[in-house]
Amino acid sequence: MSALDVQGIEAGYGARSILHGVDLTVGDRGSLTVVGPNGSGKSTLMKVVVGLIRPSRGRIRLLGEDVTGLGAPARARRGVGYVPQEANVFRNMSVRENLKLGFEFIPSRQPSGFAGRLEAMLDLFPELADRLGTLAGHLSGGQRQMVAMAAALMPAPALLALDEPSAGLSPRNAGLLFAAIARIVESGVAVFMIEQNTRLGLGAVEDGLVLVAGQVRARAPAQALLADPEMRRLYLGAEATP
Amino acid sequence: MIQLVFNGLVTGLLIALPALALALTFSVLRFANYAIGAMLTVGAYAAFGFNTLAGWPLPLATLGGMAAGALVAVGVNELVYERLRGCSGVTLLVASIGVALALENVVRFIAGNSPRGYAVALARPLRLFGLRINFEQITTLFAVVAVLAGIWVLFRFTRIGRAMRAVADNPDLAAVRGIGRRGVVTVVWALSGALAALAGVLIGLDATLDPQMGWTYTLPVFTAAILGGLASPMAAVAGALVLGVAEELATTVLAPQYRNIVAFLVMAVILLVRPSGLFGARWLTR
Ligand SMILES: Nc1ncnc2c1ncn2[C@@H]1O[C@H](COP(=O)(O)OP(=O)(O)O)[C@@H](O)[C@H]1O
Ligand SMILES: [Mg+2]
Repeated sequence: MSALDVQGIEAGYGARSILHGVDLTVGDRGSLTVVGPNGSGKSTLMKVVVGLIRPSRGRIRLLGEDVTGLGAPARARRGVGYVPQEANVFRNMSVRENLKLGFEFIPSRQPSGFAGRLEAMLDLFPELADRLGTLAGHLSGGQRQMVAMAAALMPAPALLALDEPSAGLSPRNAGLLFAAIARIVESGVAVFMIEQNTRLGLGAVEDGLVLVAGQVRARAPAQALLADPEMRRLYLGAEATP
Repeated sequence: MIQLVFNGLVTGLLIALPALALALTFSVLRFANYAIGAMLTVGAYAAFGFNTLAGWPLPLATLGGMAAGALVAVGVNELVYERLRGCSGVTLLVASIGVALALENVVRFIAGNSPRGYAVALARPLRLFGLRINFEQITTLFAVVAVLAGIWVLFRFTRIGRAMRAVADNPDLAAVRGIGRRGVVTVVWALSGALAALAGVLIGLDATLDPQMGWTYTLPVFTAAILGGLASPMAAVAGALVLGVAEELATTVLAPQYRNIVAFLVMAVILLVRPSGLFGARWLTR
C-alpha cells in the first residue's frame, strides 16, 4: 500500500487553473522529490495534497484511504506532516510552544509522549536544544526551518511533505538540513518533497518527478534523473552540476 | 490627583474586558466587531433578568449573564459571520453594525427603554490612604484583575489557549497542525461574549442599565484596542488602562461631558502616527 497516491489532479486559484491532471505515487517508506521551474505549480500541488486547496478534479489517497473530501486538520490527524515554503512557524510563540502545538492536536503514531518526541527531535536538530525558550520569529532562517520540520515530525507522521526546505539557507545550513532529511528518509517516514536545489533534493530520495506548467514531464529514479544530461539541460538548470 | 489616577485605572479596567474581547476576535477572525457594545448591553440585561426576575444573588446572576452573553455571541456567529466566511473584513464589519442594531433593539423590545439598576445594597465608600474608594470600584478591581489573570493563564498554559494563538498567528499552519478552525472560532466568540457581559454588569453597577449603554462604550473600547494594537489581545488591556487614566485626567481641563472627545482624539492620533498600536510592535509578522 502506498503512503500517498494522487490521481488526475486539476486545481487552481479561482478561475485560473494551474495543475492539469497530475498523477504521482509515494510508496510505503518511499521518497519522492518534485522539481521544475518556478511557477510550474509545485507548491500548489503540495497544498492540494495536504488539504489546503480543494482540487476541482482527481483523487488523493493516504495510506490507502481516500482523503479527497477531508480538510487539512483531518488529513494531519491521519498522518500528514507538512512544512510550508513560507511562514512555516508560529512566529509569536516560543520554539517549545511550536513543538507542543505540532504534537498535541494529532494522535501520535508512537507511544513515547511529548517528552520522548521532544528528545527525539533535539537528537535530530541538536541546535534547537538551547533555543527552546526563544520566540520562533526571532530565529534565523535555518533555525526556523529546523523548528518547522521538528514540529511536523513531533507526532511521528506517516508522510512528511516538505516545500523547498533549502530555500533561503546558506549552503552549509542546507547541507546540515539535508543530512537530517536523509536520516528521516532512512528511518522509514515516507517523504514527499519539492526542491529547487535539484542536486540536494534528488540526492536525498529514491524517486524524482519533473513538473512543468502543471503537468508531469518526467518520472524516474532520482539518480537516473540527475544523471540524464537532457533533463539537466532542459529542466534542472546549472544547479544540477555536481 | 492620585484619586483621579485611581478612578482612571478603574474606568480603564471597565474598558479592558470588552477591549480584550474585541482584540481577541480581531486577532483570530480579522475583522473589527462593532457589536461589542451591544454584546455588553445584552450581557448586562441578561444578568439583570437573573438578578431581579429570578432573584439570584448578583454574583450568580453575573455568571448567568456571562453564559447568556457567550451563547448569544456563538449564536450570532453561526447565524451571521459563518455564513459570510471568506468575505472581506469590511463586509464583516458592516454585518456587525447590523448585529449591533438588532441586539440593541431586542433588548429594548424585551426590557423597555427606562433605565434599570441591579438589586444591590448601597454601601458606604471606603477611605484608604486618602483615596475615596466605593464598593463598585472594589468589585470592578477584583473581578477584572481575576478574570484577566485567568485569561492570561488560559492563553499561556492551556491547549485551547495555544490553539487560539496559533490560529491568530497563522491560520493555514494551524490547520495543517490539526487544529480545526471552527472549534477555535466558537471558543473565541464564547469568551468574547462572556467578557463583554461581565463588563456590562460592572458598568451597570457603576451607573445604570439602559439599552444604549453599549454605544457609549463602543468608542473607548475601540480606542483602547487600537491603542494596544488590535492584533494582540493582552496589549488591549494596557491600552484600556492608559485611556482610562487619560480620560480621567482630562476632566481637570475639560468639562466631564467631553470625556469621549479624549477617546476620539487618542484614536485619531494613534491611527495617524502608529497604526500598529503603542504596544503592537512586538507582534511579529515576518
Ligand atoms: N494564492 C494564489 N493565488 C493566485 N495565484 C497563485 C497563488 N499562489 C500561486 N499562484 C500562481 O500559481 C502558479 C503556480 O504557483 P506555485 O504553485 O507556487 O509554483 P511553484 O511552487 O512551482 O513555484 C504561479 O503562476 C503563481 O503565480
Ligand atoms: Mg513554490
